[in-house]
Amino acid sequence: MSKFRRFLESRGFINAASSILAIVVGLLVGLVILLVSNPSEAFRGLWVILQGGFGGGAKGVGQVLYFATPIIMTGLSVGFAFKTGLFNIGTPGQFIVGAFAAIYIGVKWTFLPGALHWIVALLGATVAGGLWALIPGIFKAFFNVNEVISSIMMNYIGMYGVNYLVKKNIYDSLKALSQNVAPTAVLPRAGLDKIFYNMTGANNVHDASTVNCGILIAIAMAIVVYIILNKTTFGYELKACGYNRHASRYAGINEKRNIVLSMVISGMLAGLGGGLLYLSGANGRRIKVVDVLAAEGFNGIPVALLGLSNPLGIIFSGLFISYITQGGNYLQRLDFVPEIIDIIIAAIIYCSALALIFKNLVVRLVGGKKKEAEDIAAEAGRAGMSGKGLLPPEETPETPEKELAADQEAETGKEE
Amino acid sequence: MSTFYFLVQQTMPFAIPLLIVALGGMFSERSGVTNIALDGIMIMGAFASILFINKMQDHMSGQLLLILAILVAVAAGMLFSLLHAYAAINMKSDQVISGTALNMFAPAFAIYVARMIQENGVQQIQFTNTFLIKEVPVLSNIPVIGDMFFKNAYITTYLGFAILIVSIIVLYKTRFGLRLRSCGEHPQAADSVGINVYRMRYCGVLISGGLAGLGGLVFVVPTSTNFNATVAGYGFLALAVLIFGQWKPLRVLVAAFFFGFMKTIAATYSGVPFLQDLPIPSDIYKMIPYIATLIVLAFTSKNSQAPKACGVPYDKGSR
Amino acid sequence: MDYIIEMLHITKQFPGIIANDDVTLQLRRGEIHALLGENGAGKSTLMSVLFGLYQPEKGTIFKNGQPVKIDDPNDANALGIGMVHQHFKLVHNFTVLENIILGVETTKRGFLKMDQARKKVVELSERYNLKVDPDARVSDITVGMQQRVEILKMLYRENEVLIFDEPTAVLTPQEIEELMKIMKELTREGKSILFITHKLNEIKQVADRCTVLRKGRCIGTVDVAGVSKEEMSEMMVGRKVNFIVEKSQAHPGEPALEVKGLTVNSSHGKKLVNNVSFTVHKGEIVCIAGIDGNGQSELVYALAGMLPADGGTVRLNGKDVTHASIRSRNDMGMSHIPEDRHKDGLILDYSLGENLVLKRYYKPQFQKGGFLKFKEVGRYADKLIERYDIRSGQGAATIARSMSGGNQQKAIIAREVDLNPELLLAVQPTRGLDVGAIEYIHKQLIAQRDAGKAVLLVSLELDEVMNVSDRILVIYEGEIVADLDPKAITIQELGLYMAGSQRRQAQ
Repeated sequence: MSKFRRFLESRGFINAASSILAIVVGLLVGLVILLVSNPSEAFRGLWVILQGGFGGGAKGVGQVLYFATPIIMTGLSVGFAFKTGLFNIGTPGQFIVGAFAAIYIGVKWTFLPGALHWIVALLGATVAGGLWALIPGIFKAFFNVNEVISSIMMNYIGMYGVNYLVKKNIYDSLKALSQNVAPTAVLPRAGLDKIFYNMTGANNVHDASTVNCGILIAIAMAIVVYIILNKTTFGYELKACGYNRHASRYAGINEKRNIVLSMVISGMLAGLGGGLLYLSGANGRRIKVVDVLAAEGFNGIPVALLGLSNPLGIIFSGLFISYITQGGNYLQRLDFVPEIIDIIIAAIIYCSALALIFKNLVVRLVGGKKKEAEDIAAEAGRAGMSGKGLLPPEETPETPEKELAADQEAETGKEE
Repeated sequence: MSTFYFLVQQTMPFAIPLLIVALGGMFSERSGVTNIALDGIMIMGAFASILFINKMQDHMSGQLLLILAILVAVAAGMLFSLLHAYAAINMKSDQVISGTALNMFAPAFAIYVARMIQENGVQQIQFTNTFLIKEVPVLSNIPVIGDMFFKNAYITTYLGFAILIVSIIVLYKTRFGLRLRSCGEHPQAADSVGINVYRMRYCGVLISGGLAGLGGLVFVVPTSTNFNATVAGYGFLALAVLIFGQWKPLRVLVAAFFFGFMKTIAATYSGVPFLQDLPIPSDIYKMIPYIATLIVLAFTSKNSQAPKACGVPYDKGSR
Repeated sequence: MDYIIEMLHITKQFPGIIANDDVTLQLRRGEIHALLGENGAGKSTLMSVLFGLYQPEKGTIFKNGQPVKIDDPNDANALGIGMVHQHFKLVHNFTVLENIILGVETTKRGFLKMDQARKKVVELSERYNLKVDPDARVSDITVGMQQRVEILKMLYRENEVLIFDEPTAVLTPQEIEELMKIMKELTREGKSILFITHKLNEIKQVADRCTVLRKGRCIGTVDVAGVSKEEMSEMMVGRKVNFIVEKSQAHPGEPALEVKGLTVNSSHGKKLVNNVSFTVHKGEIVCIAGIDGNGQSELVYALAGMLPADGGTVRLNGKDVTHASIRSRNDMGMSHIPEDRHKDGLILDYSLGENLVLKRYYKPQFQKGGFLKFKEVGRYADKLIERYDIRSGQGAATIARSMSGGNQQKAIIAREVDLNPELLLAVQPTRGLDVGAIEYIHKQLIAQRDAGKAVLLVSLELDEVMNVSDRILVIYEGEIVADLDPKAITIQELGLYMAGSQRRQAQ
């Protein structure tokens, strides 16, 4: 088998290819909706979506990076939890708790010197997110409480709690928002505003994007998570617990401890995401005191799914979703409703659920064996995702047919 | 005493939708399919039926309009849930993924269509509530019970209880129910005695779709005058109620009312003399149902038992 | 010839393999016909075709001389064909009665009507002497009773052709006798029986004729009376098989494992392991024999640390490990080949290499500062693959899930044996494997013993118990009821002890 052939038949390629296929189908769904709404502008609309951030010039591209930052973080949070066998649907709560901690430190701890202030604020966000996920983690490990429900509960408790604490401590009652943070707490631009800007107006003003070092931090975190999961003994243990609790126990791994740690790390990532988003701009963003769960939290789920829970994949899927979301904003110029983007993203996710068809298609196009495709699809279903949060999957029983097949494969493997 | 009746009346709009949707989720999961798309289906059902009311309320009003809207909601929910059924059962996909996709699709779709159809591209769909029953003739005169259940009510409340009773009977006393349950516990066994597991699971998902759609309408009508593409996460709360109720109808009822009552206290405490005097801020009150649920879960989850084969796609080839 | 069922030139394929290759099977009316073959030979597949669970690519099925199409179990049922599966297909939280009627419920306008059904079930149960409690939940009854429920399922549907898939795997010798009697009674009443097995003794005891399958092909059909066990075994495996496990005399040394008064309670307070005491010495193989469900699983779990001990002590080489963590027991020299290789023994989504270091990944050999040394892992895995002949598609990188059961088990054994343990716990190590793999594993166990290690074996296969072990401890209802020398007793006697009818302490 030539090396190229082997690459085409490798799991990595087939997974990536089927994700891309899902994206294409999702975009086609979007096109259909555009056609239905306003046929004359439909193709222009699709082009605007495909242009994405570029539709706003260099500033637009900067905005893509800016909006990608929080969802990459929540995507990492969800993806990390998936890989370790947990469904962290509590990212909205962890996110907003992190945001609150960051803003609180930003507003109140002005005794900190410039360079430290924002770093400490981010650390605070991280710790807060981790603590918030601690409860679902402990509840699952020690009381066998489904982490999906406990996380949902924590989402609401977090939302109301943060609203209350903002009102009590750092409130701007005129605007029903939290107060501005001190300038030293805002994330440094790291020179990115000098790269991503448009020249506008008669006076050639620099209209810079709000992007800052947050995107760099997010990407760095993705790399860190990747290293932890794939290169360390800790990651080996966490994944083992996610794939098979019983065998991990048999091997002497402390699965209770690992469940708690997984949730905490997952929460830390989401909390940091909250910090990164809310410490940006000129005076930081301000928390709206409303009874609405943080959308960035939930948006981490499609990012994780599209990125197949792989930290590096999540960078790309986060960027991609931010990219077309930006395009969606520009759609309003053509009188389209920007919610089309959400519909497209939903369609993409739905198609990625139909992994079996797509993977078969890709494998057939590449000319590989059908059984391999089924194995790979089955793996995606099992690898930390299928029905997780509600019941661990049963192992498939051995069948005589599988035995003979495996033996045959072993024989050919030996020959090569 | 009147406070108590007031509280009970107010609990209904919170508890009944939870009950209906949770029962729907029960049918799906009992047949073996995890359905986390309940929130999205609620939104779709609410959207379709509220839009229907909005368009028809110039020509009709009252209970007849509501009944037709109920039918629309159920139909919309069932249709939408077909997507989940197809992905989960035919494509043997990851049921969490397809459920998430539906949850994302529904609000986006609702907003999109609303803005396309309505004048001025307005997002909210308004409706006039002509469905409140101030007093049910005869029944409202019964002491105690009359005040609790037959004043300031909606027919959807009674519908909710009816659904509960029907659910119990269907699940435990009929052939359909027996077969449905077997598909969720041991689909290989069901298959080996000739039951069509795929068909049973479709039924389970469609029932959950219909009930969740209905739940969306039931949620919106008593609590507001417009629909804004959200059900405040009630679909997820219904899931919690289902797990809390251990997938059994009567326990689900208790769980739904426990939660609904807590939510009512949070919303109406200013009207309760005793509570009004306590120096507890409103945000803390809003947290109470969730904290209470967490505590109860901590004590009751030790022996939690979902239907054994729930969430695992059934593949005839693997036996 | 009066054949009630004929399966002619059946070919059944799955992606990548041919499970049945031009197989012909003819069942005479009123006979007990055995289907013999190793694990993976295609016996279950063939019967699944007959039962409508699979459709063959080629071939036809005849009933009473007429060609028939069996597309699903309903068709099979309509033709009077029923099947008792190897892994029972019973819904665990339904009652016995509900399980029996599932699929053929008596209803009135959709509502279940159980009274008639109950009467019929009780009647059948008495007629064929199949004792069951109609209202008991399946999860609460014994395995033997579960099997009777499966048989009643067939009789309730008035099946004439009864297929039994490896029915005796979970029964004592006495229960096997009873089953044989029931099968003969059924044929006297006019039923015809197909009986899948890989156990030659049973075929000799009860079958009239036997069809042998090997690797998907039909080797032949023989008259059981006129053929020897050796001949049948040779047909099954393709070469001469040595029945007697070759081993030299055991030389037991110091005690390696000392168990005193070990007790394990269930969550309801029932004593699953009840005040058990025994010793395993270095250089001996002790086997715990007993019917499935009498506490042997829990006993081993408690020894390994996976279940907490509620009383008593466990000493490994003199050190008290009663409440030690699982990892410290591993480090102190305890290895465990678990009962369920998929649930406990392997992480199926990990590669073979990652599985082989499952108990050692944290040691300095394989990690530094928390980072795994992948090259070392690969090297170690290759060494084990070579030494223990583990076959897999891509060597150490193969995902464990895609390996065959036999090789998965070899991987587990390689890992556990290579840890050079003082005590090796092996629970049903040969379950579901073919003769070649079984021979290999027995050799490994004996090699361990000859190297001066202690081996505690738990097995349900009586041949294995008698041949491989140096000493037998019989467990019944959580207690050790006998300490026997395999050379000094017969299988029948062993069966009596296992059924709790006798007790005997070590002489």
